[in-house]
Amino acid sequence: MRARALALSILSSAAVLTVGWQLGTQGQTPTVPDATATTTTTAPNGGSMSSAAAAPAPTPTAAGSSASATAPASDSASGTFTGTSVQTRFGPVQVQITVANGSITDVTALQLTDKDQRSVSISNRAAPVLRQEVLAAQSANVQGVSGATYTSDGYLSSLQSALDQAGL
Amino acid sequence: MTLRTAPTVPVRTRRMVDPVDRTRRIRGRRRRRTADAMIALVWASVAAAMTLWLAYGGLNTVSGLATALTAAGIVTGLVGTDLILVMLVLAARIPAVDRVVGQDTAMAFHRQLGKPALYLILAHGALLTVGYAMADGSNVVTETISLFQGPDMALAYLGLGLLIAVVVTSVVAVRRRFAYEAWHLIHLLSYAAVLVALPHQLSAGGVLADGTVQRVYWIALYVLAFGAIAVFRFAVPALRSARHGIRVAGVEQVAPGVVSIHLAGRDLDRLQTAGGQYAIWRFWTGATWWHAHPISFSAVPTASSARLTVRDLGTGSAAISRVRPGARVSIEGPYGVFTEAHRVAPKLAVVAAGIGITPIRSMLEHSTLRPGEATVLLRGSDPSQSYLWDEVGALRSMRGNAVFSMMGPRPQGLATWMSVEALAHGVTIGTVFPDLLNSDLYVCGPQSWIDLVIRDARAAGLPEDQIHVERFDW
Repeated sequence: MRARALALSILSSAAVLTVGWQLGTQGQTPTVPDATATTTTTAPNGGSMSSAAAAPAPTPTAAGSSASATAPASDSASGTFTGTSVQTRFGPVQVQITVANGSITDVTALQLTDKDQRSVSISNRAAPVLRQEVLAAQSANVQGVSGATYTSDGYLSSLQSALDQAGL
Repeated sequence: MTLRTAPTVPVRTRRMVDPVDRTRRIRGRRRRRTADAMIALVWASVAAAMTLWLAYGGLNTVSGLATALTAAGIVTGLVGTDLILVMLVLAARIPAVDRVVGQDTAMAFHRQLGKPALYLILAHGALLTVGYAMADGSNVVTETISLFQGPDMALAYLGLGLLIAVVVTSVVAVRRRFAYEAWHLIHLLSYAAVLVALPHQLSAGGVLADGTVQRVYWIALYVLAFGAIAVFRFAVPALRSARHGIRVAGVEQVAPGVVSIHLAGRDLDRLQTAGGQYAIWRFWTGATWWHAHPISFSAVPTASSARLTVRDLGTGSAAISRVRPGARVSIEGPYGVFTEAHRVAPKLAVVAAGIGITPIRSMLEHSTLRPGEATVLLRGSDPSQSYLWDEVGALRSMRGNAVFSMMGPRPQGLATWMSVEALAHGVTIGTVFPDLLNSDLYVCGPQSWIDLVIRDARAAGLPEDQIHVERFDW
């Protein structure tokens, strides 16, 4: 290879890589889940997760969108709200939120991508990260978990429907 | 007015650079720039594959050995796939690539990329399997079985198997054991290998998920690579063959084992063949339809006729020399940079041996040469190899230019391209071409003989840009 071709290759590749590096590091780094806050993440083999016993008993709903609000709508909504079941190519995703006085106190994944063992392991990794982010942001406007794009998308859109029901 | 300009004229003519030489130098510089830019583009595409992964937070997933292995597996997969797509583009015979560096150089690069691409894809599979197994706390075997059940993964493993078959059969030592046609048939499987691997990249790979720029970018790369193949290797040759309706007009024996095939067709001048180029020809007869051959034009085509000259070197070309008038012929091409357009120096030095005379003859026919500009050396080991020599001397462009011949076998046990007699007289490349360093050297003949001519030319200090060789060994 000629010297100029080599120099040009190195320069252009370095420029392109720098852009990627910048974009990657500027993007919000997913918060590492706090080890003590993972009460809701013990996943049974099926991949669906149940909330910790401390949380108000969730009302399991058939895959659907009916809200199971236990409190009348008011200025500050309270209760549990179940999001729609979102279909992804790795299985359906559905989440439930617990709201107290207008703020999200817990997010429970009723069902996560579980089409195969790989999906289950991705879900197990992504769910606690997403839960932490949502609790911190108090909205569905959070960064998805990379490497778990389908799970994140499903999780956040199910969450948004639950938030809509809660009027948040 | 005359008083003012008259004295300046002699000064100007002495300083004036020949416009032809100047154009050549500028064109050569532009070609080198384009070639360098093309190489940079290849490596930038590798960087782009990595950069998109980085931009989507690829590095943020790394938190320990398992995730590091997984990330490395993803990156090797991306880079390997990028290189395979580059290989497809290089093999697509894109006119711009052929014009700038020549198809033979492009294919040399294609061959160099083969093994690295395979190793990267193998590493991709291995690293991801180990990385996933560690993350899941299972072993490699269980993980492989589990991966195999993933979406489109069976196809991906099939693609890997095909890729291994393609690369292994192309390793020089193995390739020699296969007939060209058998090898070529296996090589065509690489299209299948790339295509069956595509679904798992779009489904199993979270990296190329729906709605990401990455997905758009990669699909665009695939469309580009396969589009180039479809257009330039299939559509253009098919249309060209139909448009020109080429048939064999006659076969003429010019020497023992050497025939000139005269072709007739419509508007053959519209092929815009430059002297020195070749095309890949397929003769539609019972014995020859299944193999295509690269053969140089031995004369620049006219509107209604073209001529090829072939020596029966292999079983294929022997069958071609027996084709009958009226046989239909299809053409891929013309291709090649063994043309006047690629000259960079003011003078021209030409060496041809045996059947290598064919592109040399048409290149000289197509050249505009001033008297004294060219020196041609025709080389044969015995008089039976002097076919087309008389035609070279009779070319209009050769008026006032010297044509020498060097007849006789090479000495045994000595690596030289010259005859025993010439060596005894102290002939060297420098005595044949006194102005060599100021010349473009065009060489065509048997490969091992070419290598020796080039060795001597390089030893004499001839820059690479001024060495022009046509290789047919791809």
